[in-house]
Amino acid sequence: MPNVSLRQRLLLYVPSGFLLFFFVFPLIALVVLSFWQTENYKIVRELTLNNYVTLATEGAYITFFLRSLMMAVGVSVTLVVMAWPIAYFIVRYGGRYRIILSLLLVIPFLSGEVLRLIALQGMLGPAGLVNGMLVRMGAAPLRLIMYSNVASFIAFIYLYLPLVVTTVYLSLINFDFRLAHAANACGANRFRVFTEVVWPLNLSGTLVGFMLAFIPTLSASLVPRFLGGPNGTLYGMSMSQQFGESGTWALGAAMGVVLFLFSALALAILSFGVDLRRTGFTGMGRQ
Amino acid sequence: MRQSDSYIRIDNVSRRYGAVKALDSVTLDIAKEEFIAILGPSGSGKSTLLRLIAGLDRPTEGHISFEGKDVTGLPPHKRGIGMVFQEFLLFPHRTVRENLAFPLRMRREPQTVIDERLEWVAGVLSLTALLDRYPSQLSGGQQQRVALGRGLIARPTLLLLDEPLANLDRELRQEMEVEIRRYQKQLGIPFIYVTHNQEEALSMSDRIAVIHNGRLEALDVRQAIYDSPPTPFVARFVGKSTKFQGTVTPDGKTVRLARYDHEFPLPPQEKFQPGDALDVFVKNERFDLSPKSEGGSGIVCTVSDIVLRGPFLEYILETDRGDTVIVVKPKRNDPLPIQERVLLSWAPSDCHIFKAGS
Repeated sequence: MPNVSLRQRLLLYVPSGFLLFFFVFPLIALVVLSFWQTENYKIVRELTLNNYVTLATEGAYITFFLRSLMMAVGVSVTLVVMAWPIAYFIVRYGGRYRIILSLLLVIPFLSGEVLRLIALQGMLGPAGLVNGMLVRMGAAPLRLIMYSNVASFIAFIYLYLPLVVTTVYLSLINFDFRLAHAANACGANRFRVFTEVVWPLNLSGTLVGFMLAFIPTLSASLVPRFLGGPNGTLYGMSMSQQFGESGTWALGAAMGVVLFLFSALALAILSFGVDLRRTGFTGMGRQ
Repeated sequence: MRQSDSYIRIDNVSRRYGAVKALDSVTLDIAKEEFIAILGPSGSGKSTLLRLIAGLDRPTEGHISFEGKDVTGLPPHKRGIGMVFQEFLLFPHRTVRENLAFPLRMRREPQTVIDERLEWVAGVLSLTALLDRYPSQLSGGQQQRVALGRGLIARPTLLLLDEPLANLDRELRQEMEVEIRRYQKQLGIPFIYVTHNQEEALSMSDRIAVIHNGRLEALDVRQAIYDSPPTPFVARFVGKSTKFQGTVTPDGKTVRLARYDHEFPLPPQEKFQPGDALDVFVKNERFDLSPKSEGGSGIVCTVSDIVLRGPFLEYILETDRGDTVIVVKPKRNDPLPIQERVLLSWAPSDCHIFKAGS
């Protein structure tokens, strides 16, 4: 780094040091722990692959993982499909209210995640707003939304929709819609204008939104705990139980490593699988 | 122009945005193989007219037809047009080849046709070596040629050009003016060229439509627009000219200038009454200039500076009233010296006279 003053270097060193200390070191500790054992709430410092063998062979863990994976894919895809029309509407028709409309999306975040989940419990539970009304009207309660994976799904959508709408919004607000006019004048109908120009040129922004929902859903523990019910255990919830009730920290550490590697893999697939130039990314900002 | 020549017909078209009339009852017939420039200052409504022809916007009143077929309600992709934009608007995520082939793909042309047309358009516009690049890897002039190629490749009914040269540097612009006019003659389709630059309009087009405040101010062949502007606005906007105020003398045969001790005979074809206040426009290259020492009649000025513009000289004159007048003359080796006292005059047939304030 020639011609870079010490003060400028500090701008890089301080956050790097922070990340190293609070992220990289604990991660290394976690990896080491995952190759040890826990017996009777005590750590046994012997290198072993037992934890990973357990995770790969025991049915429950495989089920939890696949359930988490399906949930994460389903939630992220649904969110992208839902977020696009909302973001598109705000960008195209929001006019001078665009900033206010996009800030409205953040309002649920002001209350905190646990509070929002408890509110959802009140909505979806057996005596909640929806089922309470149904029962009062003499109908049968909707079992589907009581402590089930559907309830978790609804919660994930509710939790992460603002994030995905915001990322798609930020992508669309920077999109030059005159390119859509140009495509139209070149003979493309509305559908092809979307598939050929609008969608690919906003793909990288959309993928960021997808990952912002995918990764936390994959490792979520609070949502299934509050809303998932008996058949709703997800991988992240099981992992937090290893560190809590069961006291099997080493197994929990191995689950953490699995989650980390899988998320990194998903990120790698997306970033190497997408040719950024095909999304109009030039590395030089907007032309 | 006779009705039967009309290939593109714009019939009494208006476009209002709320209370604002962006375009007011414009009627325009364009012949096949015609290069027409739509010239106007920014905000005149010329871009609105272009968007209406393209179908990117719909008229509030009036009709537009191509080859006798009413297209007023058709969206752009059903009009068979080509369009070139000021900002090029190439698709940044597609290579030059894909940008060029885009209109053909949208029409579901077979690959053999696409390949054949690509070869043709890349050859004509010298883009063959650039086909696999992305737009961000091209210079402004190259991007312009790709935009032009994309507009032409599908053999459109007409090509709309929206200030396509505004973002290019001067030298390249002049080169492209010649090229674009050549393509138009080769292809034999109408080019509708929107510009605020009167030099571009004059150098390229067959006819010029001058738009001002949403109205069609003038429509004629370029020479006529330049030599005999029908309105004061056209006189001011096309070509570089200087305005003087004057009055018709009581005998009705002479124009006397208001601010200067100079008069000239009223050309016989001009019909004005004695005492009429007039605006007189003289093109900067139509002035006569002679040293004051030689005597004669004219506005007394001092040469304050001389600007050399290639084969022309621009004399910057200052009148005794403190006004600046620019006079363009062919370059010569013995120009009038700076600080020389000169007389400024013009032949009566070389000025354009309008009733004041009209």
